[in-house]
Amino acid sequence: MKLNLILFVILIICALTTINFKHLTRNNFAELDEQSKRTLDLKDQQTMLRIEESSASRIEIIEKTAKHKLNMHIPNTKEKKVIFR
Amino acid sequence: MIKNKSRKEYFELSRTRRRIVLILMLGMFLVLFAQAIKLSAFEKDKLQKESRQRQHRELDLLPYRGKILDRNGSLLAESTPVYSIMADAALVNFKDVDPINQEKLYKKKKQLANLLKLSTRDLDKKLKNRKKRDVSLRKNIAPDTKIKILELKILGISSNKVYKRFYPENGPVAHVVGFTGSNGIGQEGIEMLMNKSLAGKKGKIMKIIDGKRKPRVVGEFQSIKLPKDGVDIKLTIDLRLQNEAYNALQKAVEKHEAISGSAVLLDAKTGEVLAMTNYPSFNPNGYNKVGEFIKNRAVTDVFEPGSTMKPISLAAALERKIVTINTLIDTGNGAYKYQGKYIRDTHPHGVIPVKDVIKVSSNIGSAKISEKISSMNLAAMYKKFGYGVKTGINFPGEVSGVVRKYTKWKPIDHSRASYGYGMNSTLIQSAQAYTVFANKGKLKPIRLIKGIDSKIGKTVLSPKTAKHMLLMLESVTDSDGGTAPKAKVYGYRVAGKTGTTRKYIDGEYVKDKYIGTFVGLGPVSNPRFVMAIMIDEPLVKKGYSGGTLAGPVFSRVMSKAFEWYSIDADGLELENIQNKKETSANKTKL
Repeated sequence: MKLNLILFVILIICALTTINFKHLTRNNFAELDEQSKRTLDLKDQQTMLRIEESSASRIEIIEKTAKHKLNMHIPNTKEKKVIFR
Repeated sequence: MIKNKSRKEYFELSRTRRRIVLILMLGMFLVLFAQAIKLSAFEKDKLQKESRQRQHRELDLLPYRGKILDRNGSLLAESTPVYSIMADAALVNFKDVDPINQEKLYKKKKQLANLLKLSTRDLDKKLKNRKKRDVSLRKNIAPDTKIKILELKILGISSNKVYKRFYPENGPVAHVVGFTGSNGIGQEGIEMLMNKSLAGKKGKIMKIIDGKRKPRVVGEFQSIKLPKDGVDIKLTIDLRLQNEAYNALQKAVEKHEAISGSAVLLDAKTGEVLAMTNYPSFNPNGYNKVGEFIKNRAVTDVFEPGSTMKPISLAAALERKIVTINTLIDTGNGAYKYQGKYIRDTHPHGVIPVKDVIKVSSNIGSAKISEKISSMNLAAMYKKFGYGVKTGINFPGEVSGVVRKYTKWKPIDHSRASYGYGMNSTLIQSAQAYTVFANKGKLKPIRLIKGIDSKIGKTVLSPKTAKHMLLMLESVTDSDGGTAPKAKVYGYRVAGKTGTTRKYIDGEYVKDKYIGTFVGLGPVSNPRFVMAIMIDEPLVKKGYSGGTLAGPVFSRVMSKAFEWYSIDADGLELENIQNKKETSANKTKL
């Protein structure tokens, strides 16, 4: 009788633990799903930023900025100094 | 009745009844038990499948297609999210009995139509059939437009995310990068060649459909398989040089009113393709990617290489010590009758040393030298230089070109082959062949993708012959009688060979239709780059020789390559000395 009671209590504990873990699993899974979505969104954002960066760093734009904003120019033959090694 | 029966009798009667009831009940349980066994043991799979179909939905988790980058990490192809706007025609309603609500709904409808770039009439037409639950209102909408549409909060309007390939560099790299079809599978270029690596692997997720027919997450980790993103591919292409080559080609093609042009720039030391472009090109972001200019003509189209073959024929003679660079060749008055047919030069050159055969591009000189080499040796040398065999770049659609079997050559075929007629090759083969002159006699295997181990180059010529050839090729860019003075680069010594061939169409050479080529390398003191350029069918009156057409393209691209790769100038010393001489001469005069 005593053993039966102990086994019954163990059974109840196991059942409750199972339910609890199932609940935790479900929560974690939902979290995983949420994070996967977030990862994808961040990847999308990263893509858009990369495209923006690639269009802003085109050589024509860099040269235009150097020419007009920084007043830079390619040295002509008179401005070039030749160093013989 | 009951009262009349004794208790015993009554009990006997009820026992029979009880037995009948018990048997019936047992029978019923037996049937139920049998049914339970049947369902759980024999129809288990079928029923479970049916249940899954009703309650579960397996959704694909799409992987991110890998990017394509140039050697410096600049973006050439990327997958971007775009959205399709969908409507459930049964739920979308823009009518209300209340005039205030009606006005609000009409306003929303107009806003939606504007965002979808549709008229309200077209929108009504699309939503006319109320039975349609999945009407596509517009595809490929940018994320910000999608947000604006969903912010209208119209019942029955939803969005689907899909990924579309985006090519930020457009035309100049279109032939190399290629494009994907509407199914996301590579159709051309690197997209096709590396499709498997770029595509990645699909994942899966199992979801339960709830009462509102919306998919909900199943709380089991076994129900999810994460996707594996595609691998990024880094090319050997240098976007700066690619754009420069494209712009220079465009200018040359437009100036000479030619049909098209192609260019290939190689790193002579590593065999890496730094630029490979064609003009006209196409827009890989467009929908109608069809037409004759889709092919990467530098690897798919063959043409007779013409005079660019002369250095190879001459190298064969030098290597076998049949001639030396100073052996005199009589090219006569510009016409030489051989086997009943005339071989002609553009100008008469008389008696010239072998080294000048290349400088003035004499067909007669080349033919006379080749007469001293056997067909077998000449054909073998062409093969060693990579003519008639694929380059190993593995580009989709690459052809090997044709060098006919030497046993089928007639004597005139032998002569014509020496100056590049009666055979054909691709532009990339010509570029690869000239790596021999840049690498002390070694042919470099070429590659387009970074990270792939390059094969070891094979020795084709002795370093001595290669050096002689390089100096001969340098004389081609001489202002004093060379055929390509326009290919010169300020401050650098460059070498190369022009080619001007008549087009061979339907079995005959067509008058006034030419292909102008130039294959060059530099700087001569330590060659770093090899470049081949081809301009197809220029307007004859605007100049058609290889030096005139392709020389300026070579000069422009090479000067940028030298500048961007910080190559030491090897031509300044000579120019400085010349300048000093000129200055002192002027002073003496004064």
